[in-house]
Amino acid sequence: MRVLSQSLAVIVMNVRSLPSRLWMSLAMVIASAVVVAILLAFLAMAKGFEATLEGAGSEDVAFFLRAGSGAELNSNLSQEQVNILANAPGIVAEQGKPIVSAELYVIVDGVKKSSQTEANIPLRGLNANGIALRKGFELVDGRMFRPGTDELIVGQGVLNEFDGFELGQTVRFGQNAWKVVGVFSTGGNVFESELWADIKVLQSLYNRGSTYQSLRAKLAPDASLETIETFIANDPRLNQDVQTESSYFAEQGKNLQYMAIFGRVISAVMALGALAGALNTMYTSVAERAREIATLRAIGFSHVSAFVGTLVEALVLSTIGGILGCVAAFVLFDGLNVSTLGSSFTQVVFRFQLTPDLFLQGVIMALIIGFISGFFPAWRAARVPVVTAFQSGR
Amino acid sequence: MKDLYLVYKNLTRKKLRLFLTSFAIFIAFLIFGAVTALQGALNAGVEMSADNRLVVMNKINFTQPLPYAYVNKVGNVDGVDKVTHANWFGGYYQEPAQQVITLAVDSAHYFDVYSELAVDPAALAQWQANQSGALIGERLANLYGWKVGDRIPIASNIFSHGDGGHTWNLTIDGIFSGRESQTDTGYLVFHYQYFNETHTYGGDSVGWLILTTEDPSLNDAVAKAIDANFANSAAETETSTEKAFNKAFIEQIGNIGLIISSVVFTAFFIILVVVGNTMVLAIRERTGEIAVLKTLGFSSLRIFTMVLVESFLLAFVGGLLGLTAAYITVEVLSGVFANFLPNLVLDQDIVIQALGYMLLLGLVTGMIPAVRALRLNIVSGFSRD
Amino acid sequence: MSDEILFDLKNLAKRFVKGKESISIFEYLSMTLKKGDFVAIMGPSGSGKTTLLNMLGGVDQPTGGEIWFDGSRIDNLREGALAQWRANNIGFIFQFYNLMPMLNAHRNVELPLLLTNLSRKQRDQQVQTALKLVGLEDRAKHMPSEMSGGQQQRVAIARAMVSDPKLLLCDEPTGDLDRQTADEILEMLQLLNRDFGKTIMMVTHDPAAAKYATRTLHLDKGQFAEKELAA
Ligand SMILES: Nc1ncnc2c1ncn2[C@@H]1O[C@H](COP(=O)(O)OP(=O)(O)O)[C@@H](O)[C@H]1O
Ligand SMILES: [Mg+2]
Repeated sequence: MRVLSQSLAVIVMNVRSLPSRLWMSLAMVIASAVVVAILLAFLAMAKGFEATLEGAGSEDVAFFLRAGSGAELNSNLSQEQVNILANAPGIVAEQGKPIVSAELYVIVDGVKKSSQTEANIPLRGLNANGIALRKGFELVDGRMFRPGTDELIVGQGVLNEFDGFELGQTVRFGQNAWKVVGVFSTGGNVFESELWADIKVLQSLYNRGSTYQSLRAKLAPDASLETIETFIANDPRLNQDVQTESSYFAEQGKNLQYMAIFGRVISAVMALGALAGALNTMYTSVAERAREIATLRAIGFSHVSAFVGTLVEALVLSTIGGILGCVAAFVLFDGLNVSTLGSSFTQVVFRFQLTPDLFLQGVIMALIIGFISGFFPAWRAARVPVVTAFQSGR
Repeated sequence: MKDLYLVYKNLTRKKLRLFLTSFAIFIAFLIFGAVTALQGALNAGVEMSADNRLVVMNKINFTQPLPYAYVNKVGNVDGVDKVTHANWFGGYYQEPAQQVITLAVDSAHYFDVYSELAVDPAALAQWQANQSGALIGERLANLYGWKVGDRIPIASNIFSHGDGGHTWNLTIDGIFSGRESQTDTGYLVFHYQYFNETHTYGGDSVGWLILTTEDPSLNDAVAKAIDANFANSAAETETSTEKAFNKAFIEQIGNIGLIISSVVFTAFFIILVVVGNTMVLAIRERTGEIAVLKTLGFSSLRIFTMVLVESFLLAFVGGLLGLTAAYITVEVLSGVFANFLPNLVLDQDIVIQALGYMLLLGLVTGMIPAVRALRLNIVSGFSRD
Repeated sequence: MSDEILFDLKNLAKRFVKGKESISIFEYLSMTLKKGDFVAIMGPSGSGKTTLLNMLGGVDQPTGGEIWFDGSRIDNLREGALAQWRANNIGFIFQFYNLMPMLNAHRNVELPLLLTNLSRKQRDQQVQTALKLVGLEDRAKHMPSEMSGGQQQRVAIARAMVSDPKLLLCDEPTGDLDRQTADEILEMLQLLNRDFGKTIMMVTHDPAAAKYATRTLHLDKGQFAEKELAA
């Protein structure tokens, strides 16, 4: 109990004297704020990727691509192959019609708002089944395109990041003009970075005959991918790979995740640098107060209280920094829309997301910094010889 | 200089602080060097592009093809010097993850247009005569240890071979190198003719055209003339300088790169500010000692110089070590990422920039306490404790 | 004792201004210091002893009057010239020694010699001589933190002596030391004065210390009251 009240007295004294050591205290606060802000920036980015790509696919949708093609852009399927695959085992049918969507996309140019330069956007052709297979699909404005017409609907990500896709606008890609009749959301995932139109219209306008790139099919709850693979292997006309849609996007997300990994590595290294700065601050603070500490010890305060006092001082400073870092990260990054080149060669629009669990991670990071940068100097403080109090000068 | 000993003693009086300060500076410059090199690698294509070279793409998007007939039509436009073309093959070696950048090109003119690529005339002639031959860049050759005469299977993730399968067997007829160190030689070229005859996709289209103009001043006029020529046709074109095209391509990677680098640079500067603050305060602690030196007769200017030299030393020791570590990191990474970041180098420009920042760090952190020391009134110097 | 005048203070004035308040320490202070003098200055705390010493040493400027040293005026010299003048003529000895904590005894003593053109070898020789003079030749490699107060003060004296200045200014040189050590230090100063002809001005609180001097001046309320001691 004595130790506690003594420590408390020392803590109060240390914290009160912080303003008089303004610059040093500030350095510690800033060091901690920087680390937390950087960490949160990269976590928010990773969170955004996750929501965009990993959230895109469904477990109960089978996704077919030409074997070895790896991505939609490189794949192709004929009408005949699509017809056979639609009858593969395990695919749900309604009123005798299998729920499948054969799709095609072409890459078109859009002008990015941020840089006013052209960037790739996928223009996807699909049918009503395809739309129904996207979980979280919602028309937020306008209406659905009518099959057989040159109408398209625009994903919210495209609308936010690119010029000229507002409702009612006519957009031209080469010779073809399209009318924007609706705006859709799929809950923030990668499909929002696309333009959607009727598959048949797309095939004819871009001379694709009756070929497709990918096929999506609704899986029955008891369906097995192995059975479907056997089905494909047994039919010489088929040469497709099948996987669930969610595993396809998880794979696609890897490329973007590299950036998040890169970010983590950088923020870890930066954290080391900032930690060195913070440690320096605390050591200096202890050195400056050596006489003060020794005097308290001479009066009869225990060395535990000197230790705790210094440690708490560091924790207070780093927590202030951590909170500042959280606020800075929130102001600068939360909801920030960015786009980059995804692995299928098109723009993926995603949004930095700072969720409460990230703030928690930020504060924990700040406490770790405070603890490390406080512990060793506190150790030193506890060992300041009492005679220091009686020595003159330095 | 006799005072160097004093400077040295001042620097090393608190070993732990010296270490921590140098370490923070070290980290800052390590990251600065590595991230700047990375940025440079992404931008290298822009810098290396020739002034009088234009690229012609499908207006819809550069992934859309153009009819083969455009090659001759573009060649006839006034002001065009030489034209060549290329197709993206989507090549890989053995596994899809081992991407080999492979272009199907026009063997007659490709190396005329890309004059920065050096290739032995005999090897070029042999390749031109060998329809299943290929020329590979020096860096690619080093990466896989391929030699002239090797027969290598290159698979495509886009095209199917007429014989079934996705693999083309190509014989290496020669190795081309860059006339400058930053020239990209990390790819393979083979005959368009051969490609067109063997793939099953429906042919006679090219990916894009590359041309040189007679003079860079004609670039705009030539680009307009070409695009006007194909306006309102089934495949409209968009012609831009190679530089602009490369730049736009990098822009596609987009603001994410910008965000990462600006976050990193902000952090770099803030670390320097934090460290600088410590350095300033560390010298300020010594006010009493500086006052003693003054009473001994050391001139203000001399003390001023000593303080500056000290902070310069600190900035440069940490900074140069950090830069060296960045250099090693970049060397290692450029080996690992040779495939998609061919120009990852920590070059002279980055070194000069980094040296500039070290100078600035030394100057700013030294200047404040040095000026204070210069002005220090001895009497108040003693009463500070 | 020579009759040559080393220091001549004429109507020295010093006032500190802080905001609207201003305090005057002295207004018409005059005194002379002859070559070879060993003067002790005593007086109550706050009477201006340190201030006076600082002005004599050229580290503080008077607000009025003149200071002449060896025939030339120093109170109007510029900072650079003053530093040079200090290096050539003055040795300081402080109450708290003020050694450089990161330098050993030898290096501390060497400091003033860095301001000369002496070679490394010559410097080492002079430093050794000075350390020998104060009886610390075997402590040359020791750091200040490894020495007692008396030893540190002796290093400080060696430092003050090493460049062979005409005048030693000491501000309570024994204020931090026990009686016996203080006597040793004072004997050393006496020796420097008697055998080496150094002029010494020493501020002290301690009447016993003042006995080592040849003259004692009392500074009080801005005025000197002299008490000449029979040698
Ligand atoms: N920088 C200053 N500003 C204001 N007053 C000062 C300053 N330095 C000294 N004084 C005042 O001048 C007087 C003489 O101080 P000092 O010479 O240190 O006295 P002593 O050494 O005799 O004890 C004291 O009253 C002190 O408060
Ligand atoms: Mg005094």
